[in-house]
Amino acid sequence: MADESKPFFPVESAHHVKPPPPRRAQSLTPESRFWRSFRHSELASGLILPVTALEFSPVAPYHVAAACSAAVHLFDGAASPSLAPLPHSPLSGFSDVAYSPSFRCDGALLAAGGESGLVQVFRVDKAGPPLRRLRAHARPVRVVRYPRVADKIHLFSGGDDALLAYWDVPSEAQVVSFPGAHRDYIRAGSASPTSPEVFATGSYDHTVKLWDVRVPPGSNLLLGFSHGDPVESVLFLPSGGLLATAGGNVVKIWDIISGGKLTHTIESHNKTVTALCLGRIKNESPSDDGGEPRLLSVSIDGYMKSFDFATFKITHSMRYPAQLLSVGFSPSGNARLVGTSDGVIYMGMKKTKKQEEANGTNAASELDGFIPEPEKQVLRPTNYRYFHRGKSEKPQDTDYVIPRAAKVKLAEHDKLLKKFWHKEALVVALSKKSASSVVAVMEELVARKKLLKCVANLDVDELRLLLRFLHKNATSPRHARFLMGLTKKVLEMRADDIQSNNNLRIYVRNLKRMIAEEIQIQRSLQEIQGMISPLLVIAGR
Amino acid sequence: MIPGGQSLVSSPPVFSHDGKKLLVCTGCTVSIFSTSTGMKIMELEGGHTDRVTSVVVVPVAAPSSKFISYCWTSSIDGTICYWDFSVPELIKKVKVQLPIHSMVIPNISCTPIGSSEKTSNHYAFISVEDPTISADENKAFRGQIQIYNLTKSRRVRGLLAETRKPELLSVSKNGEFLGITNKRKLDIWKIPSNDFRIEEIKKIKLHHTKKLTALAFHPKLRMVAGGDVTGRILMWIGFGRRKFSGDSQATNKKKNLTDEEKPGVRNNDDADSCSTWHWHPSEIKFLSFSSDGAYLYSGGKEGVIVVWQIDTGKKKFKPRLGSPLLYFTESPDPSLSCVTCADNHIHLLKMPTMEITKSIAGIKLPFSYPVGHKGLCTQVAYDETAGLIAVLTEDYCVQFFSLFDNHEVSQVQVCKRNFQPVDDVTLYVALVSVSLDGSLMGTVDVKIPEDGLGGLVSLKFWMRGSRIAEYSLSTVIYEPHSDAEISSLAFRPGHCMAVTSSFGGDFKIWIHNLGIKLNDQLHQKTGWRCQSVGSYKGRPMTAAAFSADGSVLAIAAESVVTLWDPDSNVLVAVIGDTHSPITSLSFIGNSEYLVSLTGGSTPQLAVLSTSKLRLSWSYKLVAEALSSSRDTSQFSVLVLLNSQCGIEKENGVILLFDVEDPVPVATWMVKKAKGGSLAFVPANPSFDEIKAMDGEKPSLLVYVNGDHEYIIFDPHNMDNRIGKSSRTSQIALEEAGMFGYASIYGDLSNLNPKQDQVPEITFAPSERPWETIFNGSSHALPPLTKLCSTFLASLIEKKPSMNE
Repeated sequence: MADESKPFFPVESAHHVKPPPPRRAQSLTPESRFWRSFRHSELASGLILPVTALEFSPVAPYHVAAACSAAVHLFDGAASPSLAPLPHSPLSGFSDVAYSPSFRCDGALLAAGGESGLVQVFRVDKAGPPLRRLRAHARPVRVVRYPRVADKIHLFSGGDDALLAYWDVPSEAQVVSFPGAHRDYIRAGSASPTSPEVFATGSYDHTVKLWDVRVPPGSNLLLGFSHGDPVESVLFLPSGGLLATAGGNVVKIWDIISGGKLTHTIESHNKTVTALCLGRIKNESPSDDGGEPRLLSVSIDGYMKSFDFATFKITHSMRYPAQLLSVGFSPSGNARLVGTSDGVIYMGMKKTKKQEEANGTNAASELDGFIPEPEKQVLRPTNYRYFHRGKSEKPQDTDYVIPRAAKVKLAEHDKLLKKFWHKEALVVALSKKSASSVVAVMEELVARKKLLKCVANLDVDELRLLLRFLHKNATSPRHARFLMGLTKKVLEMRADDIQSNNNLRIYVRNLKRMIAEEIQIQRSLQEIQGMISPLLVIAGR
Repeated sequence: MIPGGQSLVSSPPVFSHDGKKLLVCTGCTVSIFSTSTGMKIMELEGGHTDRVTSVVVVPVAAPSSKFISYCWTSSIDGTICYWDFSVPELIKKVKVQLPIHSMVIPNISCTPIGSSEKTSNHYAFISVEDPTISADENKAFRGQIQIYNLTKSRRVRGLLAETRKPELLSVSKNGEFLGITNKRKLDIWKIPSNDFRIEEIKKIKLHHTKKLTALAFHPKLRMVAGGDVTGRILMWIGFGRRKFSGDSQATNKKKNLTDEEKPGVRNNDDADSCSTWHWHPSEIKFLSFSSDGAYLYSGGKEGVIVVWQIDTGKKKFKPRLGSPLLYFTESPDPSLSCVTCADNHIHLLKMPTMEITKSIAGIKLPFSYPVGHKGLCTQVAYDETAGLIAVLTEDYCVQFFSLFDNHEVSQVQVCKRNFQPVDDVTLYVALVSVSLDGSLMGTVDVKIPEDGLGGLVSLKFWMRGSRIAEYSLSTVIYEPHSDAEISSLAFRPGHCMAVTSSFGGDFKIWIHNLGIKLNDQLHQKTGWRCQSVGSYKGRPMTAAAFSADGSVLAIAAESVVTLWDPDSNVLVAVIGDTHSPITSLSFIGNSEYLVSLTGGSTPQLAVLSTSKLRLSWSYKLVAEALSSSRDTSQFSVLVLLNSQCGIEKENGVILLFDVEDPVPVATWMVKKAKGGSLAFVPANPSFDEIKAMDGEKPSLLVYVNGDHEYIIFDPHNMDNRIGKSSRTSQIALEEAGMFGYASIYGDLSNLNPKQDQVPEITFAPSERPWETIFNGSSHALPPLTKLCSTFLASLIEKKPSMNE
């Protein structure tokens, strides 16, 4: 039950311009609380060149591959508390810029394309020359993808020469190839999460095409539809029935089972969307399903957005200080990477709970067969803490918490006004040097009919303060009307004191000079007015 | 006819014995409020015909008799009634014949209902006024304290005391002592347990040097506290040991004590010691001991409850109650009590912390403007669509009060300043105006300069929020007419436009501009700004009004009425010439007529035709308020009757005119017309059935008197539901025509007083009680056993009428 009596109103100048009300802090949704629970750091900052792709290994410990310049950097997903480069990182068997690293479904091999048109396959666990080199492309290969399920021997690649090739990796031979698969650079591709033979490609000719390598040659193209902008990224959603494509400022969701029907368009970015990836948000409650899936999109405009494709809503948005080119989210759900055009990889690591660590140590000690009884120190009155016991006790769930009423903070002059110490309040306000609060106190004193009495009671030092204040502020337009009248009154009332004191005389001289200046200003303003008003009259006709 | 706006604070409220209900005297009825919700549950009506002055709740002893709830009430009309307030039902009526100003029943707690003891006689101590002795007589004792046997309805012979005026009686909690404040002393009687004979009752006096205003008895100890006009609190400890003990041996012993052993006690009074506490700067209005006797509560004009710890004299304060305090009542529930404020509010307090949990809010009372205030003194405005009245209050608020529901809807704080009831008025809200649809409100507040320094007039525009009567500040305009005070403020119907006229000789038209779209970004530049300024020959502008369709703006420039086009700000026409400044202007419905009121030495009510641009007809009348109906061509005027009539000056007449006809359609006599106001309001939905039956225009007239009590009635209803002079009496008003003036002063005294009933009578009781007895909130519904008998009784009454 709230107290319905009136609050205390501190004094306020009538002409005081109030600052805009503070922005109400939005209450955090569970979703944004999840996204904010990541601890931010820069994973790698010395790369200089754009980080074009980030890929998480599909199996634990979820290594990360980042394509940047002429190398693919590998980071150890098991390292704690943050990712650390693997000892053999980076893989530098590239003669030119490396593109599109892709892990095999068991995480043992990594394939990557390059500016030279060569597709190379590396071991992940140790350094060495590439195991296989797949040559067919004449132009840079920007898309290399391993199938996401069960198939360990094939991969597909697409290049700027519009060639799409499906490779048998052990023999380094093309199983199928589609020269002229698109009419422009192929820049995006995604393997279906449900079948290893189906994949989608996106190209700068605005089209997205869906391929199946099982059917006889000539009828491999299952589906083609136009995104409307050069396609930068293509991603199958986990069901395999929905496809997300990014191009221009928009991300579109297509239903490929019903023949490529557009189901939703996300227009939340201001600049070109460069990459898409899948993420999962985990709730606080431990559930086994790994949380709800989200589609993460990053854009040149520096924003990363999280999109809930079950409800078709943007659920969270984060801003980074650079243009974003790539994004990755760990399958374990505790790491999120964003690559930028200036070679910085921003990393968000989920804070590991201390409780889990504590559980770990407990378990260990239980294994030892000896559980040390925690020694409980009994507090005695000889101990200082005895007298403070229970003070910092946290309330339990079952306790009924009575909140202490918030203490109202009052300015010094408000406190004095409450006690009706009028002159003291005026002096305190004058010594604080905030013009608006001085005027507020003066106006309140006027309302109490006490201002002139206060002025009459001021001693010489306090009168000096008042004169200094008047000298500074009497001509400020906001308060001039009130303060000029007051100045006149003060000089009339305290003429004797001022004449007898040298210091005060100086102040009065200053006041006089200031008023002369003000009169000069007014006169010149009137001159200007006189010049302008005939012009206005003429213009009005 | 709906009465409302009664004062809740005329006498102290009383809690029921379980602390769940609060019995408040409201005029000639007692309203019962729930302490948990603050809403009215029921009303004890039909027993008294004048103001109820005190309520005594009969305590219960046994928990089995919890449902029993009886009370005694006394009234100025000289009756004492016994009620069962759970039903509610009048059980018994005792006639005393003299106006009762205060009543206590001391021994009522000794023999509570439900105890096995045989109930003895109940004796009431009543403080009555003897109307036979005129107040002009010097040293006349108008007040008497009598004892009345309530059980036998018989007065006990003899007078307990005679006082100058009827005093408020107070009794100690155990019913042992009775006391009054009598000038500079306290008179205390020891009440005998069974033998009530005047000569047996012993009395002591405790003297002080100042006039005492309040007293309270300690619930356990022999201690009495008295408060005086200077704000001192005196505590006499161990009073009456000498006299009341009755033991001569003890008396002798006490006599041995010298005066030095009785610190602070004057005149060899019968008390052990007397101590003085002083915090209050002004008169103490109430004193009350807490039920455990550890604390004393005191309060007065400065609006602060002071809690004194009796052992140590330490103080705790509950400030900012916003109004002078009148009474403090403790409930049987120790965590609940209530304080009554002079602004017609009762605050329920959660006890140890003194937080206000609920407020029972009556309509706030009018306040007096400081000297030098110009303009019309109506402190009310009406939100006619919602049936609300907006009342200006002393603590810089606008209170919105629902006329039909008779409760407060909201309060809008106009000036953010702490209100001190003791101070002189230096800041006040001078004007309030609500637009026709209630979506906009304008207020004007004035700060009085100190020696010509720091005066400020500010005009504030408010926008309504999502709920009725919830306004948020939109724009503040400081010194809208530089130094000059604003005489009126009016909103244009159907537009976001307002006009203010000032005594400084100009009027300003204000418009509200919405957000301006600039470069695809919405600029939040909403607010009110001045659109145009107009003046007429430099004369002071005294009143302003818009026509019903908003096409014409009428401004009174002292003695003439100027008509303007509000959009282009062009003077269209000038009408009329009166001798004194016009104080109020109003267009009449959709007709072409305009009515103006003129004050000053030559008062006048004039109807002007805007099509012919001339005076249509006029009367020489001192009119207080004016209201015109929206959709008909009728208007009503509240006319003050001055002393020439021989009637009291406060009385007035409401005249209902049709604009075409100078003969009034109807006339009503009213009391307390000074400061009153009138308004036409559309009927509430709940009254639609009456209207459908009658087939008349659904417009009701509201009359608010000078004390903010109001009455709503249907001016067109010709049946006897309201006291109204019949059309045939003709009221002897001379027809003035278009040229002449007529005085009605002599004529009105011919009115037949039988026909001119004062419209302050209560509802006729419904003959169908089953419609009402089951109504009400479930927690307040009386037990079925009680309802059943009422219900059956009503059926029995019904049957013979059916047979007929």
